[in-house]
Amino acid sequence: MSSILELQKVTAGYKSVKGFKSLIKRVEIVLREISFTVEKGERVAIIGESGSGKTTILRVILGLLKPISGKVLIYGKDLYSLPSDQRLQILRRIGYVPQDPYKSLNPVLKIKYIVGEPLEAAGVEWRYIGERIREVLKIVGLPQSILNDTAEELSGGMRQRVLIARAIIAEPEILVLDEPTSALDVSIQAQIINLLNSIYNTFKVTMITVTHDLGVAQYLADRLIILKSGKIVEEGSVDEVLRDPKSEYTKSLITSYLRITGINSLNNIKIRGQYV
Amino acid sequence: MVLAVRASGISIGYIDEEEEYIVWAVRRVDLAIEEGDAFCLVGESGSGKTTFANAIAGILPPHVVTRGKLYIFDRLAIDESTWNFNGLRGRVVSYIPQNPGTSLSPFLTIEEHFYHVLRDTLRYDREKSRKAAIEALLKVGLDRGVLEDYPHELSGGMQQRVLIAIALASNAKIIVADEPTSAIDANLRASVLQLLGKLNREYRVTLLIVTHDLASTSIVCNRLAVMLAGKIVETGRTISVLRNPQHPYTKMLLDCVPLLGVKKPLKPLPGEPIQVVEDKAICPFRERCPRAIDKCVEEPPLKPVGDEESHYVKCWRLTGGESE
Amino acid sequence: MPPSLPFIRLVHRNLRKYRFKIGLSITIAILVLSLVSQYIAPYPREGLGYVPVGEESRRLLPPSPQYLFGTDTLGRDLFSRVIMASRSAIIQAFSVVFLSLIIGLIVGVLAAYFKGLVELVLNYLTELFMAIPSIVIALFFRLTLEAGFHVVIISLVTTWWAWYARITYVYAKGVVELDYVVLAKLSGLSPAKIIMRHVVGVIIQPILVQAISDLGSALLEASGINFMGLGLPPGYPDWGVILYEGISEMGIIAFTRAPWLVFYPGLFILLTTLGFTLLADPLREDLDPRLRRRWKLWF
Repeated sequence: MSSILELQKVTAGYKSVKGFKSLIKRVEIVLREISFTVEKGERVAIIGESGSGKTTILRVILGLLKPISGKVLIYGKDLYSLPSDQRLQILRRIGYVPQDPYKSLNPVLKIKYIVGEPLEAAGVEWRYIGERIREVLKIVGLPQSILNDTAEELSGGMRQRVLIARAIIAEPEILVLDEPTSALDVSIQAQIINLLNSIYNTFKVTMITVTHDLGVAQYLADRLIILKSGKIVEEGSVDEVLRDPKSEYTKSLITSYLRITGINSLNNIKIRGQYV
Repeated sequence: MVLAVRASGISIGYIDEEEEYIVWAVRRVDLAIEEGDAFCLVGESGSGKTTFANAIAGILPPHVVTRGKLYIFDRLAIDESTWNFNGLRGRVVSYIPQNPGTSLSPFLTIEEHFYHVLRDTLRYDREKSRKAAIEALLKVGLDRGVLEDYPHELSGGMQQRVLIAIALASNAKIIVADEPTSAIDANLRASVLQLLGKLNREYRVTLLIVTHDLASTSIVCNRLAVMLAGKIVETGRTISVLRNPQHPYTKMLLDCVPLLGVKKPLKPLPGEPIQVVEDKAICPFRERCPRAIDKCVEEPPLKPVGDEESHYVKCWRLTGGESE
Repeated sequence: MPPSLPFIRLVHRNLRKYRFKIGLSITIAILVLSLVSQYIAPYPREGLGYVPVGEESRRLLPPSPQYLFGTDTLGRDLFSRVIMASRSAIIQAFSVVFLSLIIGLIVGVLAAYFKGLVELVLNYLTELFMAIPSIVIALFFRLTLEAGFHVVIISLVTTWWAWYARITYVYAKGVVELDYVVLAKLSGLSPAKIIMRHVVGVIIQPILVQAISDLGSALLEASGINFMGLGLPPGYPDWGVILYEGISEMGIIAFTRAPWLVFYPGLFILLTTLGFTLLADPLREDLDPRLRRRWKLWF
C-alpha cells in the first residue's frame, strides 16, 4: 500500500482582508500542525463539530487554501509547490462532493452541462462526453430524462446524486465527501450511503468523508480521525475507536450520540458482524 | 384526561400563486394529544408534519386554506376555513423554531428577547420579565449571565436552550418544537432532547416535537405518529411502535437510522417521499411499498393492531383487507 | 448555453399578467411610434424644428382638429413635435441603460471574482463615479463639445455604470463563494468560462430586470438634462427640449396661457416611464418571491 495523501504538520488559517485593514495582515489560525496519512483504497472519515476545522482541512486538500506552514502531499508531490498546471493535473484526480446539494448546483444550467463539466474542462469533446454522462447517471441511479432539466426541478436526493455523478465522471482516484448526507431525509440518507459504498466497492477509489455524524461515518469509513478545535485528538479504526475510545472528547461524542432507546437489543455498543 | 390538542378531519392546503389549485399538505387528519403527553410527529420532508405543527402553534401563513376542526384545550382554534388563535398563540401554545441561529434577533440581548415576548403575552414590565427570565433560564440549565449576551455570543446548543426558556417563561401549556435537533451538532442533540423531556416530566408541559429522526423520538416522546404525504399512517405508544412497527413505511424508516456501534445494513426502499397535489383517496405508500396489493389503490382506514392498545395503523395488509 | 434563455422563459411566464401586458403594450407602442412617427406626423418638417416663416397667427393655437395638440410659441405643430420626439426618448433611454449595463457588469463581476487588489481598486472607482452628479458632467461636456445625443449619453453613462457595477458586485459576491464555482475551479475550467457560465449566467436575470425598470429613470434624467438646455440643441424634437421651450418665450411665461405646451410632452414622459415600470415590476416579483403579494390589485 502506498500513501495517496499525506498532510505533514499543516497549520492553516484565514486572513481577514477588508478595505484598508488589508495593510495590516491578521491571520486566524484554524488548524494546528495536523498530520495524517491516507493509504490508497482506504475509507477515512474526519469527524468534528462545527468550528473544529474540518472544512478547512477540506479546503487545504482541495488546493483552495495554502497552508501557513507544513506540506500537503498527494501522490508524494507537494501540492502547493507545484506549478499551477501540474497542480491542476493532480486535482483532477480528486472527485469532490460538496456539502449542501441545494447550493452546489448552478440553478440555470442543464443537468448534462453540470455533470459533463469536469470532462469539458479537461478538453474532451462534447460528443464523447454525452455517452459517459449516460453511464454515470446509470451508476448513480438517475433517469436519463433529467439530462435537459435544470437543478431547480430536482429533489434533494436527486441533487446529491447529480453531484456524485459529477464527481465520478472523470474517474477520480480520490473521492472527497463533505457532509454527504446532512441535508437529506432519513431514507434518502440511507440510499446515498449505500450508493457511495457501492461506488467504493466497484471503482476502488480512496474515500475521504468529512462529517459531524459518527453514525454516518461508521458506514462510510474504516478509519476515523477525530478533530477538536484544529487538533487531532484521536485516530484509529472504526471498531477500535467505537469500542475503546482513548480521549475524553471521543467518549463524550459516543455517549451523546442519539440512539433509539427502548429497544434494548440494539442499544449495547457491540461490534457484531461485518458491514457490507 | 384533558385533551391538549384535538384535531378532527383537519386538512391544510397551500394555494398556488395563480389560485389555480391547492396543494394539500395535511389531509383529513384526526389526532388527539392528551395533556402532559410528549407527542412526536415523524415524517420526511413533504409529509406535512411542519404544516400541521404550525397549525397547532397558530402560525399558518395567510395563503393557506383549512378544512375540519382543531381544538386546543377545548377551544375551537380552526373551524373549517376560519381561524381564531387569539389568546392561544404565544400564551397557551409556544413555538420553538427549527434554526436557533436565525430565530433570535442579532441586535437584541437575551434579556430584551425575553422582555419583548413577555410584554406582549403577559404584560410584564422589565423587572418582572427579568425575574421570569432568570427563573426560566435556570430551568433549562443556563445561568443568569447569558441575559446580557447577544445571540452570536452563545453556541448553537445554548441558543436552542434560550429559545426553550423563552417558551417556558411565557407559561405555555403546549410547546411545539420544529426539528429541534436538526440544526445543531450531533453531540449536542441528546442534551437538548433530554432537556425537553425533563420539562415535560417536571413541569407537565405538553410537548409536540416534529422530527424526521426516530432516534430523537425515542428519547423524549411517549407517543408518536408517523406522517406520510399528509396522512398519519401509524400511531401509538413510542415503545410499541418502535419495537413492533407495523406499517412498511415505519419499518423502512427504522431500517434507515444508523445505529452507532451496530453493524447492520441500511435498507432504504427505492424512490422518494411523494408530495401530493391532488387529494385522492389512495394509500400514499403504494408506489414504494414492496408488499403492495391490488386493494392499495384505495385508502386504508386507521385501525387498531395487535394486543397493544392505542396502536393504530393504516395498511390494508395488516387490518384485514383482502388475503394475499 | 446562452444566459438569456432563462430570461426569455421568465418573460414568457409573465405574459399573462395584466400589468405586464399593459407595460408591454405601452413599450411596444412607443417603440413603433418612434419608428413611424416621421411618416405619420402631419408636419414632419416642423416636427424636426423648422419654424414656419411669416405665419405669426399660428402661434399658441389651442388643440383643434387641424393641430391635434395645438401649436407652440413659434407656431409649430405640437403633435408632430411630440410624437417625433419619441425617437430621441428611445435612443437616449436604451443607449444609456445598455452601455451602463455592459460597463457595470464587467466591472462588478471582475471585482467580485478576482479578490484582493482588483476588488479594492474597482470598488473605490465605482464609489468615486457614484458620487459625481450627471448634471455637472453634462455641463462640462456642453461647454467643451457640440450639443447632441453624445452629451446626454456620455454624461449619464459616466454616472450610471457605477450603479450597475454595484448591483452586479453584490449579486456576484453572493455567487462566487458557492460550491458550483468552487467545483468548476477544481475541475480546471477557464476563468472566462466560469465567469460567463456560473457567475454572469446566474445573476443576469435580476440585473436585466433592474435595467428594464431603469429605462424609465434614464428617460427622466435625460429629459431633465435636455430641459435645462445642456443636451440636445434647441428645436430638436425631444420631450425635454419641448418642455423647456414651452415654459417661456423670450422671458414671458407661456405655459400659463397655453397649458398644452407642457401637458402633452409631460404626459408622454409619464406614459413611457409607466410602461417600463409596469414591464419590470412583475418580472422582479417573479424573481424575488418576498415581493409577491398574496392579495390582488385590480390589474
